[in-house]
Amino acid sequence: MSTVLTEAPAETSTAPAREPWSAIFALARFESRKLLLRIPVLFMLAAYVAWIVWRTKSGWYGYPALQDVDRATQTGPLLVGFAVLLCVNQAVLRSQRHDTERLFGVLVLEPWRRTAAHALSILPVTGLVVLGVAAQFGWQAVKSTAVGHGSVGELLVGPLCVLLCGAIGLLMARLVPKPFAIPVAAVLLLVFSVLAPASIGGGSATAWLTPIVGEGSTKTIPSELIGRPAVSHSLYLTGLALTLALLAVLISKGRTKTSTAVLAGSLAGAIALGVVGGVGQAAGVSSETVAARTVATLNPQKVQSCVRHGRSTYCAFPEWVPRTATWAEVTDHVQSLAGGTAQTRKLLVQQRVEARYGMEGDGAIEPSTTPNQVTVRTMWGGPRTPEFSAAVASVLVLGNEKAGGDVCDGRMVTIMWLALGWTSDPVTELRAVRLSDTVTGSSIVLSPTNGMTMTAGQTSVVRELLAAGPSTVTPKVKAHWAELTAPKVTTAKVAQLLGVKAPGGADKCE
Amino acid sequence: MTRESGETEQAGVQPPSTARVLAQLTRPVLRALPVRGLAATAAVALLIAALPRLLSDEPDQWSALIALRAAALTFALGLAFVLDDPARDLTSSVPTRRILRTTLRVALVAPFAAAWWTAAVLLIPSKIRPPVGDMTLEAAAAAVLSLAAAAAALRFTAEPEPGQRVAAGFLVIALVSPLALPNDWGMYVSPTEKQWGVGHDHWAMVLVGAVAVWAACGPEPVRRRRLIPT
Amino acid sequence: MTTTVSAAGLSLRYGLTTALDDVSLRLTEGVTGLLGPNGAGKTTLLRVLATAVPADEGTFTVLGHDPRTPAGRQETRRVLGYLPQTPGFHPDFSAFDFVDYVAILKELTDRTARHNEVRRVLAEVDLSDVRGKRIKKLSGGMRQRVALAAALVGDPGFLVLDEPTVGLDPEQRMRFRELIARAGEGRTVLLSTHQTEDVAMLCHRVVVMAAGRVRFDGTPAELTARAAGRVWSSSERDPNAKAGWRTGLGVFRNVGDPPPGAELVEPTLEDGYLLTLDGMHAEATA
Repeated sequence: MSTVLTEAPAETSTAPAREPWSAIFALARFESRKLLLRIPVLFMLAAYVAWIVWRTKSGWYGYPALQDVDRATQTGPLLVGFAVLLCVNQAVLRSQRHDTERLFGVLVLEPWRRTAAHALSILPVTGLVVLGVAAQFGWQAVKSTAVGHGSVGELLVGPLCVLLCGAIGLLMARLVPKPFAIPVAAVLLLVFSVLAPASIGGGSATAWLTPIVGEGSTKTIPSELIGRPAVSHSLYLTGLALTLALLAVLISKGRTKTSTAVLAGSLAGAIALGVVGGVGQAAGVSSETVAARTVATLNPQKVQSCVRHGRSTYCAFPEWVPRTATWAEVTDHVQSLAGGTAQTRKLLVQQRVEARYGMEGDGAIEPSTTPNQVTVRTMWGGPRTPEFSAAVASVLVLGNEKAGGDVCDGRMVTIMWLALGWTSDPVTELRAVRLSDTVTGSSIVLSPTNGMTMTAGQTSVVRELLAAGPSTVTPKVKAHWAELTAPKVTTAKVAQLLGVKAPGGADKCE
Repeated sequence: MTRESGETEQAGVQPPSTARVLAQLTRPVLRALPVRGLAATAAVALLIAALPRLLSDEPDQWSALIALRAAALTFALGLAFVLDDPARDLTSSVPTRRILRTTLRVALVAPFAAAWWTAAVLLIPSKIRPPVGDMTLEAAAAAVLSLAAAAAALRFTAEPEPGQRVAAGFLVIALVSPLALPNDWGMYVSPTEKQWGVGHDHWAMVLVGAVAVWAACGPEPVRRRRLIPT
Repeated sequence: MTTTVSAAGLSLRYGLTTALDDVSLRLTEGVTGLLGPNGAGKTTLLRVLATAVPADEGTFTVLGHDPRTPAGRQETRRVLGYLPQTPGFHPDFSAFDFVDYVAILKELTDRTARHNEVRRVLAEVDLSDVRGKRIKKLSGGMRQRVALAAALVGDPGFLVLDEPTVGLDPEQRMRFRELIARAGEGRTVLLSTHQTEDVAMLCHRVVVMAAGRVRFDGTPAELTARAAGRVWSSSERDPNAKAGWRTGLGVFRNVGDPPPGAELVEPTLEDGYLLTLDGMHAEATA
């Protein structure tokens, strides 16, 4: 009994012990709650969520490559970043604005510790952005159709930008404690970060000094060939954000000698981190990557794995091997519509990519002259599927891919029928595969390599065939296969053989 | 301080004309304006307008358009502070109406704004300058929208200096609207796109709407309007 | 005495809070004190009477003007002087510039006459020596006097003063009382305050507000009289007292219902005020 009585006061006396750090954390918790409840932050978080949903629904036609998805998470967090930039700045200036600085200035918690608490208050909202990035990436990554690998370095850029924005807001509040300064500085930063990379040009070391480095190309290449210094860049951004935040703390008043020493030491560490990252990202693409890019572009078979599905062989970069079955479905569908030997021909589907310029530029891929070889590229879904289908059909009809560029006669009708006849909504696919996005008149038909030309007459015949459907057309195709695939057969003749109205005029390709 | 009744009694005496009050207010209001903030904002906005020249020897039309729009936005952000009045509590019960006081402030800023915009436009090399008339419409819409937002803040809150919050909100909306508005509205397209014309019809509507909001927020109501009847 | 300002049934709600609940008042020339705890609705009432915010319900007239129409409000504002609780300043203005600015806003457009008037009010508040100094260089008491000068400029017939003596030292407060007393000669002054001594010394009438309602309206003597026979002294703290404290003389001064045979002492205005508020609490809990 007596022990209880003597112990009780001992407990109460330890409770209010003052620790310099715990006060910072307590204030940081308070400030982060205030920050998360500010209307601009809430609004931008909502806008960010809407952006994630919109990007995810509209992107990659349901066949994402994760080495592209990671970069696509970077710009959205800027929305939140700008709200954080404004609101952190206003939070630091709040005491000045409401004239409570005279009171706060003499409290135990010195300005530098209050600044430090403001710096820490950015972390929870950054945590929310981490969740957003994880959700956006995860949403694509769990799809069974997803291929490739994401990079942690790329995924970190978005959250680090939020941290950086907060640090800029913090430092601005200490450097220019005026309410109008921060919105103006925000616009200046934004415009500079938009205009500077365009003026400097992508890929150079200076371009990597901006927080988000975009790419000139939208194509997909194997993840090991991308050659973006993502990890170095995230180190650089971390160093930069820490440097700015620590500078803001360091120029705040009320520091003791010890705290100045600790802060100066941390600042030196942060600068070192930023420099390491900056040097790393300036190094450019390694010679190994350059060599690997050349091999992947010119001799892809050296690095590819080949898989057999049915009659045909499918050679793909390792990351795409799971997708070969999807390609095989298309090939099988096209072959099922064909006649003669084309039905059972063994094809080699070879994945090809122009990777020599990394992500900075695009390059056309020359069509293959090897018989029965079809090119497939790295993107899939949407218009990419009928494009591949058209390439398969052209090889079945013409023998090789190169010939597709020169065909101008009635065989084009057969090619397009094979390419589209099996699909559930062939007119939509026809629109998607044509460069002009039309279903009448002449147009270029896209394919993984060179395009093919469709005249207005061929287009109308193909549309009539698509309207008639496979049950009517397929038997006629199989019956007249030899005539349909004979060189120089006219479109009128093809129409007549397949039992649809012939167009007026001879075949003429521009 | 005995009140000499009759001598300075104002009731019964014809109240002085508004024009005289405004003329005499010009100098003190000019001094009460946040001149330094506006000047700093205008300077940064000019710097933004000069960015295409500074960053590249041969700037393109796209960067000129972005820079000019951003400069207009920056200046509009500065205008959000024009109606800030630290003495608002004290001036809330003077006979000179609020709409006169706020309009005077804007009228004093307007020539400066016009001169600033001319300078900003001239900073864009003539070869890549977007259509000046249409861009002026955009800039005017942004400026009046910012002022209307500040007027609304005065009308619906008791805050003496709402500029900071108005500017933050305005900036957030300005950043989100290019993403959120349908491209068909054409408000953020470039001159080469076919929606440019219809986009500027929309900008004109924004301008008219902002003027209407400004006018609607001017009067001080003699009755409180309640959103929810109690 | 003739009524100069009268209000009937003023009510005002902010969301779910009722700031004013059916307030009716009649003010006459001279200084009327407005007492009440924090949140009683004093500032709201003053803001309504100063036409800074319209009431939800109720009417009031100031010197014959009805502020419920725009024109009537203009006329009202021409005879108003208002010293808000937290007057803001343009810190770069000098005291003279600031009062001159407010004078123009009060439509004093004759330049020479206005400048004379500004000098006069600045002299009234003893700021003639510092009238060229920037407001940001002035002390708190001086700033408060600048705000009073701004309220007085143009010789308004109705002066609304919201806690003008807050934050002033005793000497400054003494001087302010003098100023307000002089301002009350030939004028209607409504003075909101927490200082019962201010009311006891200055006011010919006192209004006590609590929870948005008027709880007392009468002379300071009547308010003091409410405590007659309810203040006593004792050598020990009396548990029955509503309030009790040890005075400098070492005896306890108790307010409440005295026990039989208690040694009654002379009540003050503050005793009456405390008992008025206490009666209201009893009403509320009953």
